[in-house]
Amino acid sequence: MQLSSEARENTTLVRLEGNLDTNTSGEAHEYLNEAIDGGVRKMVVNLENVDFVSSAGLRILLATAKRLSGEGGSLRICGLNETVSEVFEISGFSTILNVFHSEGDALEGF
Amino acid sequence: MIHLGTIPIRNEISVREARNKVRSVAELMTYSEVEATRLATASSEGARMCLLGCVEPRLSLQCEIRGEDASLILDFVDSESPPDIHRLAGFFDRVETAAPAPDGQTVRAYAPPVACGSLPSSVLEELRTVIEKKGREELLVEIRSKNAELQDSLDNLRRTRSAKERMESELNIGREIQMSMLPLRFPAFPDRTDFDVHAALYPAREVGGDFYDLFLIDDDHFCFCVGDVSGKGVPAALFMAVTKTLIKSRAANDLSPASILSHVNTELSQRNESCMFVTVFLGILDLRTGKLTYGNAGHNPPFLKRSTGDLVRLDQRHGPVIGAAGDLAYSQDQLTMQPGDLVFLYTDGVTEAMDPSQTLYSEKRLHDLLAVQELSTVEHAVQVGVDDVWKFQGKAEQADDVTVLSVVFAGRPETDEPDRLELKISNRLEEIERVSQFVNAFSERHGLDDGTRRKLNLVFDELLNNTISYAYEDDGQHEIEMTMSISQDRLYVAITDDGIPFNPFDNRAPDTRLSIEDRPIGGLGIHLVRNVMDRVSYERRGSFNVVHLEKQLNTSKE
Repeated sequence: MQLSSEARENTTLVRLEGNLDTNTSGEAHEYLNEAIDGGVRKMVVNLENVDFVSSAGLRILLATAKRLSGEGGSLRICGLNETVSEVFEISGFSTILNVFHSEGDALEGF
Repeated sequence: MIHLGTIPIRNEISVREARNKVRSVAELMTYSEVEATRLATASSEGARMCLLGCVEPRLSLQCEIRGEDASLILDFVDSESPPDIHRLAGFFDRVETAAPAPDGQTVRAYAPPVACGSLPSSVLEELRTVIEKKGREELLVEIRSKNAELQDSLDNLRRTRSAKERMESELNIGREIQMSMLPLRFPAFPDRTDFDVHAALYPAREVGGDFYDLFLIDDDHFCFCVGDVSGKGVPAALFMAVTKTLIKSRAANDLSPASILSHVNTELSQRNESCMFVTVFLGILDLRTGKLTYGNAGHNPPFLKRSTGDLVRLDQRHGPVIGAAGDLAYSQDQLTMQPGDLVFLYTDGVTEAMDPSQTLYSEKRLHDLLAVQELSTVEHAVQVGVDDVWKFQGKAEQADDVTVLSVVFAGRPETDEPDRLELKISNRLEEIERVSQFVNAFSERHGLDDGTRRKLNLVFDELLNNTISYAYEDDGQHEIEMTMSISQDRLYVAITDDGIPFNPFDNRAPDTRLSIEDRPIGGLGIHLVRNVMDRVSYERRGSFNVVHLEKQLNTSKE
């Protein structure tokens, strides 16, 4: 899994690349937590280059959203491919997480 | 004056010969021993003086008979340096410049007369014989010169022979390259029951650039070809090697003989200064369907022997020989082989084999042979063809390579045996990564769409995570086995583990309507599995948990 982030005004953009699954979610979770530890409150996670997200991935996205919301921040997610969208639908995550179509959409007015 | 003979003066040796001969002649003419020696010395003096020029002088001997007396007369004939009259004068009665001969000046020396009575003709004959006889030294010289000539011609012979040997060794090297390129081990694919192939190549002593190749492109496509390169020796062998390599490497990603031949032709016709070319028949057999796609580039038309006994000549031409002209588009044809159908390929070494009376074997004879013969196996087919050529050829020499290749399509058993993939992993989470690679490869191979591929990845991630994390009570190593198969556009997955009895689908679906704060973390996996697959089930089989999954594949776009 490839992880990278960049600061955009008051927002931090995190890009993930690979599968967000059993074996990679731990690493991704740590990465996201470190960002929050460092003071990030407004976070956009771009899944454009993520092939599939399993429940383990959903779990860390949910945990991150929960933690940010507890800190008075918030999480936006964008770049879902068809399968990931379907997984978000099936799991109901599309209604409980803030999902945007593109990175631009997610950054706009954040 | 009676002419006795002439002695050519070539060199010091002939000077000595002249001396000896003059002495012998003088003695026979009954000159005293002292006188004879004197005359001999005088003639060699004169002859030696003649040697100074570069044109060959001669010493001519005459005798003059007057009554009972005879005298020896020596003519030194030389165009350039006749002997000094004064130096000779002391030896003879008289020395004078005689009338010039056509080819030189003559100095004539008269020896004193000797009373010998009449010289009978027998003595004159003897004198002539002495003069003509070759002396030992002269003979030696002649033998030496003959020897030198002999040595020369021997050297010549050696040079010729070594050139021939070089040529032959070049032919042998070419032959070795040729033979080393051929797949010679048969059965070539012992574990395959859906087809069989056999081939034989008998190289001629000199001419010949035949080759063949046979290989599986993948599990379902068998490629075979027969070709004949123009020329011989190392260049032909190298051209052949390049041709064969180009065909094989192109066929790895190209299932069209027309396209392969076009490509190989383009490659070979570039930088082909030696203007070599190659005839090729190339076939690709789809082992699932028996469909044979083939292209013929200037090669002898092969035969198809149907299992019904019918013989078909594959006489379509799909382009000229390979390598002669660039940028040509070759075409191809297709036919369907039924189980038991056999193709028979050959080179012109077969049809142009000659019997001792120079009659050609001919394609007709081959046709008639294959038409009546029952060809039980590919090996038998090859043997039948080759044996008939030998029989026809008799004691005549084999003029060209003889190559025969035969392929039989056996077909696959008519079962619903689906394409299967089996994989075993151990109970470690990192192993899921390996499963993902297999799923991707399986999807690629069967043309599954990205959505299906991702869902398969998701399903394995969820179920294997579950099993590996919760199914084992000990810390030991366990094996988890997965199979994936496709049958009639439906994908079947089975996952078998030896963990504690556990039905993953017993869990009730999580309430996805709960708000984010109210939802427990995790527990979604099975829910996802149920939803992305069409059908899920579980069974406890002995000491194993077996999870079955099914999904209808969307193949309507094909």
